[in-house]
Amino acid sequence: MHFPTILLIALIILTALLIAVFIARPAMTATRAGKILAFVALFLLPLLCMAMGFTSELERSKTTSFCLSCHIMESHGRSLYVDEPGFLAAAHFQNHRVPADEACYTCHTNYAMFGGFRAKMHGLKHVYVQYLGKPPAPEAIKLYDSYNNRECLHCHEARSFEEGAVHTADPGLLAAVKANKMSCLSSGCHQVVHNVGELGKAKFWKGAQ
Amino acid sequence: MVALERRLQLAGKLLIAGLLVEAICLLWSRPFAFILLVGLGGFLCAAGIAVYLYSLVSARDLNPKPMQ
Repeated sequence: MHFPTILLIALIILTALLIAVFIARPAMTATRAGKILAFVALFLLPLLCMAMGFTSELERSKTTSFCLSCHIMESHGRSLYVDEPGFLAAAHFQNHRVPADEACYTCHTNYAMFGGFRAKMHGLKHVYVQYLGKPPAPEAIKLYDSYNNRECLHCHEARSFEEGAVHTADPGLLAAVKANKMSCLSSGCHQVVHNVGELGKAKFWKGAQ
Repeated sequence: MVALERRLQLAGKLLIAGLLVEAICLLWSRPFAFILLVGLGGFLCAAGIAVYLYSLVSARDLNPKPMQ
């Protein structure tokens, strides 16, 4: 357990104990000091606990372990360990091109205004489908929208990318990629991403496991 | 026991239930815990705070000052 979580749980326990005092002796609020203490215990501290708890859970929901804690995501998690440079997600994860502990979120968030909020709404939809809907087979999982090049270019729009031999071979390619008219993933260039249907015959990297 | 005290006790019970849900969710790192924290924990705490605030604004009605 992380240290901030321990601190937060300690604060929750302290708040609950203070509240319990007021449940046992509500007449304490008759005095001025009691009223002030009641305001702290029954209003300020619970509000602080809820805000901190929500923030903590929101941060935790970005972690790779959180995303992979659902059984349905197990094969997507395994795909990060495929020992094959052509597997885009695995190459990014294993070489720390994305933070390993926030690998899913880094690629699957939206780097536009309210992107984080949209990612969370998608996450809520995942939970709805998982518990109340009919979850698809792992190999049938699809993105809600086609993958936007903006998410790739958030990190890759650099000199090495713009001057790379492959990207400059066709003079129209770079402009098409930047305008999202040609997808980085489906244009025959980087189309192997998770490919969970092919994991049966894949070799796995055991370095970090 | 006056009505104000009963309301304070109800607010306290709701808040403790909400905080308990929050503590359990913080220890249980699963997507469902997130929903539970926001949905149930948030609702119970919000209800507790609302009851407490209502008890404050209605305190004068519950304990009217004696006529001079």
